Amino acid sequence: MTKWIILFSILYLGLLVYISLRSKKKVKSPVDYIFAGSNIGSALGFMTFAATLFSTFTLMGMPDFFRINGVGAWIFLAVSDGALVFLIVWFGFHLRKKVSEKEFSGISSLLQSSFGNKIAGYVYFAGVFIFLIPYVAIQIRGVSIFLHATFPAFLPVWGWALAIVVIMLIYSEIGGLKAIMYADSFQGLILLTVIWIIAMNCLRWFDGFENMFAAVEKANAALLSVPGPEGLFNVQFLVASLLVIMLIPVTQPQLTTRIVVMKNLKETHKMAIGVGIFANLIIFPTVILGYYGAVRYPTESTADFIAKVLLFDQPGIVAALAIIGLVAAALSTSDSQIFALGTEFRSLISGPDRKVMLRTRLAIIFFGIAALVFSILSSDELVMLARVSFAGTALLAPMIFTAVFSGKRSGPMIPVATFACLVIFISSLLGWIPDQLFHIRMDLLLLLFLGVFSLLVNLFSRNETNEK
Amino acid sequence: MQGIKKYLWYLTIIAAAALIVITFTPLVIPFGKHTPAVFGFPRTLWTGILISVGLVVLTAIGAILHRGSNRE
Repeated sequence: MTKWIILFSILYLGLLVYISLRSKKKVKSPVDYIFAGSNIGSALGFMTFAATLFSTFTLMGMPDFFRINGVGAWIFLAVSDGALVFLIVWFGFHLRKKVSEKEFSGISSLLQSSFGNKIAGYVYFAGVFIFLIPYVAIQIRGVSIFLHATFPAFLPVWGWALAIVVIMLIYSEIGGLKAIMYADSFQGLILLTVIWIIAMNCLRWFDGFENMFAAVEKANAALLSVPGPEGLFNVQFLVASLLVIMLIPVTQPQLTTRIVVMKNLKETHKMAIGVGIFANLIIFPTVILGYYGAVRYPTESTADFIAKVLLFDQPGIVAALAIIGLVAAALSTSDSQIFALGTEFRSLISGPDRKVMLRTRLAIIFFGIAALVFSILSSDELVMLARVSFAGTALLAPMIFTAVFSGKRSGPMIPVATFACLVIFISSLLGWIPDQLFHIRMDLLLLLFLGVFSLLVNLFSRNETNEK
Repeated sequence: MQGIKKYLWYLTIIAAAALIVITFTPLVIPFGKHTPAVFGFPRTLWTGILISVGLVVLTAIGAILHRGSNRE
C-alpha cells in the first residue's frame, strides 16, 4: 500500500500545484481572485458545489451514521439534499436578480445595503464564523485522526491537521477561488470514484443486495427502519434536519457565492440538477459501507470501523486511493469555507483595492489557523457536529430571505432578533438553557420564530422606494 | 405560453412540497417496520430513494419551467 500512497500523493500534490499556478496566471483583478471572474459554467459549477457540499462528513460520517442509526440516515441527508437542489432553482433566480441590482461583494454587504444598517452584516459574519469554523475543524480533525491511526509513527494528530491546513492555505492564497474550484472538481471526482469502488467491494462480500439486507436484519433489524436502534430518527429530528440542510445554499457563503458566480441562470439551474444527481450517487454507496460495518464491525469505534472498511479490508491500491480521497474530501470543503469567510470579511471592509486584498489574504490565514486550533480541541462526532453547524447557520436564513425578497428597509429589528436567537441557540448547545421548549427542539423553534417575526416586521416596514 | 409555464411551475412546487410532506408520513417512515421490501431493499430505503430521485426530476422540470430559465 505504501508505494501506492507515495505515488498518489505525488500525483495529487503535483496537480494541486499545477492548478494553483494555472489559476494564478488568470487572476488579473481582485474580482478574478475572489469571484473567479464570475463566469463559471455548469460542469465546473456543479463539481465545485458538490465537492464543497459533500465532505469527510460523507465518506466517514455517513457510513457510521447508517451503521449506528440505520436507514433513516437516507431521509436525513438524501431527501434533504433533494429539497436543497429544488430550492436552488427558485432562490438562485431571486438571489442573482438581487445581486444584479447592486454590486456584489458578499452576503454581509448585501445584507447591510438591504437593511440599511451595518448590524445585519456583522450578525451574518458572526453567525457564519461561529458555525463554519467548527465545521471546517471537524473535517480536518476527522481526517487527521484517521491518518494518525493508519500511520501512528509518522505524525501526531495535530501534525496531520497542520499539514492539511498549510496545503489548503497555499493553493487558496496562490490561485484564489478559481484554483479552489478546479481543485474541488478534481477532489469531487476522486471522492465519488473511491466511495463506489469500496462500496462494490463491500457488496461483493455480501454477494448482492438481498443478502446484505438479510444479514443486517439478522444482525440488528432495527437498522432497517426508523427511528433506528438509538431512536434518533424521530419525525421532529428529520423535519428539523431537512429544514436546516435545505437552507445551506441560502445561509452558507461558500455555496451562496457559487450560485452568484455562475455564468447565467441557465447554468445555475443545470448546476442544481447536477448536484442532485451527484448527491444520490454519493450517498447511496454509504448505505452499503454502513451496513457492511453493521454486520462485520457492529461494536467497533468509529475510527476503527472507518479504518477497517476503507483501508484494511481493501486491496492496497484502493486503500491508498481512499486515503487520498479522504484528504481530498476534507480539503475541498474546508478550502471553500475558509475562502468564503475571507470573502465575507472583505465585503465588510473598505479602502484601496491593494490594502483590502492584503487584509483579506491575512484574514484567510487567520481563519485557517482558527480552524486548526479548533480541530485540535473538538470532539469526534462528525455528523452531529456538522448538523449543529447547519442548524446554526440556518438561523440566518430569515434575515437573508428578507434581504433578497423584500424591497423594504426593515431596520435593525430582524438582525437584532437573529443575533438574540444565535445567542439562545449557542446557550442551549452549551447546556446553559434547555435544548427543548414545550417538547420542541430549540433549533426548530428558533427558526420558526425568526421566520414569523421576519414576515411580520417586513409587513409593517416602509417601502424602500417611498423612503427615497 | 408564459401563462401555462407559470401554472406548471406552481404545480411543480406543489409536487415537490407533496413529496416532502409524504416523506414524514408512515408511507415512507413507518416506525419499526421495514416491509414490504423491494429487491430486498427495506421500505424506508426504497421509498426514500424514490422521493430523493423524484425531487431531482422535479428540479430538472422546474429548471425548464422557471420564468428566469430563458433569461441571461
